Amino acid sequence: MFALIKREIQDHLVYFIAAPVLSALLIIVTVEAVFSYDSRNPPVVAIGLGVALGAIVTFGICGMGAGQMYLDKTRRISAFLTMLPVSRNKILLARIAAGILAILILLVPLAVAAAFLVRISTPPIPLYSGMVLDISTTTFLLALACYCIGLQTGWNPSVLTPSLGSLGLTCIFVLLVVIKGFGPEINVILVLFIAASLYRTLHNFSFTSL
Amino acid sequence: MNDHVIQVENLVKYYDGRCVLDGIDFAVPRGCIYGLLGRNGAGKTTIIRILLGLEPPTRGRTTLLEADSASLPAKTRGRIGCVAEGHNLIQSYKVSRLIKLCKDLSPQWNDELFNHLIETFRLPADRRVRELSIGMRAQLNLSLAMAIDPELLVLDDPTLGLDTVARRQFLELAIDIIQQQGRTILFCSHILSDVERIADRIGILAAGKLVVDCPLEQLKERVRKLRVIFPDAAPANLYLTEIVNQQIQGREMVVTVANWNKQKQAILETFKPSSCTEIPMSLEDIFIECTRPIAEPLEIA
Repeated sequence: MFALIKREIQDHLVYFIAAPVLSALLIIVTVEAVFSYDSRNPPVVAIGLGVALGAIVTFGICGMGAGQMYLDKTRRISAFLTMLPVSRNKILLARIAAGILAILILLVPLAVAAAFLVRISTPPIPLYSGMVLDISTTTFLLALACYCIGLQTGWNPSVLTPSLGSLGLTCIFVLLVVIKGFGPEINVILVLFIAASLYRTLHNFSFTSL
Repeated sequence: MNDHVIQVENLVKYYDGRCVLDGIDFAVPRGCIYGLLGRNGAGKTTIIRILLGLEPPTRGRTTLLEADSASLPAKTRGRIGCVAEGHNLIQSYKVSRLIKLCKDLSPQWNDELFNHLIETFRLPADRRVRELSIGMRAQLNLSLAMAIDPELLVLDDPTLGLDTVARRQFLELAIDIIQQQGRTILFCSHILSDVERIADRIGILAAGKLVVDCPLEQLKERVRKLRVIFPDAAPANLYLTEIVNQQIQGREMVVTVANWNKQKQAILETFKPSSCTEIPMSLEDIFIECTRPIAEPLEIA
């Protein structure tokens, strides 16, 4: 299993390099926004940068899932790997594990930085206890949902329609979080979507020709 | 314990409504070298892909080493070596990385044998797989397949695209390994002389059906090509069953008959031919006769 995860990381190294870089940029932007916050003169540039980076991260995670599956399909990687003592389920599990690892590399430093910022600074808006945990959980689930959309898109025989569909679905999820806010309700929706999506990906991957 | 390493039962496969395999049945006993033959598009690769679990069958059941092909456990996969048509190695990897990956994933990796093979073939470890020649890719593929000490070796047109010298070298090595280790082998090839050299049982696919499934010696013994000359014009019908092919020109008839026996000989003699001589047939001749579009479906078993 570790050999398979290692292979996934080496094959998609760009995402594992981009994740800490984006994470660091987001931390810098957040720190800048928090310390320069003024209710009469809000830091528009920092907030704008934060939104742009958030969009890059969201679509990047979706792209990672799609890239992993698309490269497998075009380079016939799984067709080769299944000739070795490896089952299809293991290949997919290793792929998902690598994806989750990339998401964690991106989000864990952000969550730690957010928790630290809440402690050392006076937040511009009133916070409830466990808010950082709620935000982190929802963000992680949102990222995982986007990743799952990518996995399904990448394994699809056609390219254009699924790509547009996945873009639309990603936007819907982001808007859903914006509208509903962070918390258990949105988490339940995201978990259900992730479970259904992973089941479908596993089914497609297990029963199609390699 | 079942002594058949490969079992195929009533295998049917449709592609876009077109029947590629139509009720294939065969079994390969342990230690047997089975040569699966057929023209382009006959379904040889499809059978192998279904056997290896790369393709789902439309109907039927296939087992490898007593495990269902559709859900081969990783442990069983570790007992099967495969050299696929076109050598589906990961093209973007360096040879050394591909070797490392296979080594890490195979619990039964035989380093000594693999190093011996790599040295024999002089494969460059620092080049990418896509930069290797077809011959080198075939050698790398065979080395990787052999390094896991497989009980079953599946070779799907392994010598495709190799020059004569590389093909001979590849086969010699394969034969060496086979003889040393007594493995079961399923061997598909268009080069019939290769199959004739190493196979001890033959299956011939034609029009989606397995028209021949018997030991090579038996096949050569049972399919007869005869030149029969009659005193007058040759009869249009000899009333023999299992005629593979028949050509008439005046008094002369060249007829190929499957499952030749004394009864068929007696029927032929009732036509009182002036002469009847046997034309020797190689496996290639038998293959051509059996896969002619006009041939009636035969069951030589």
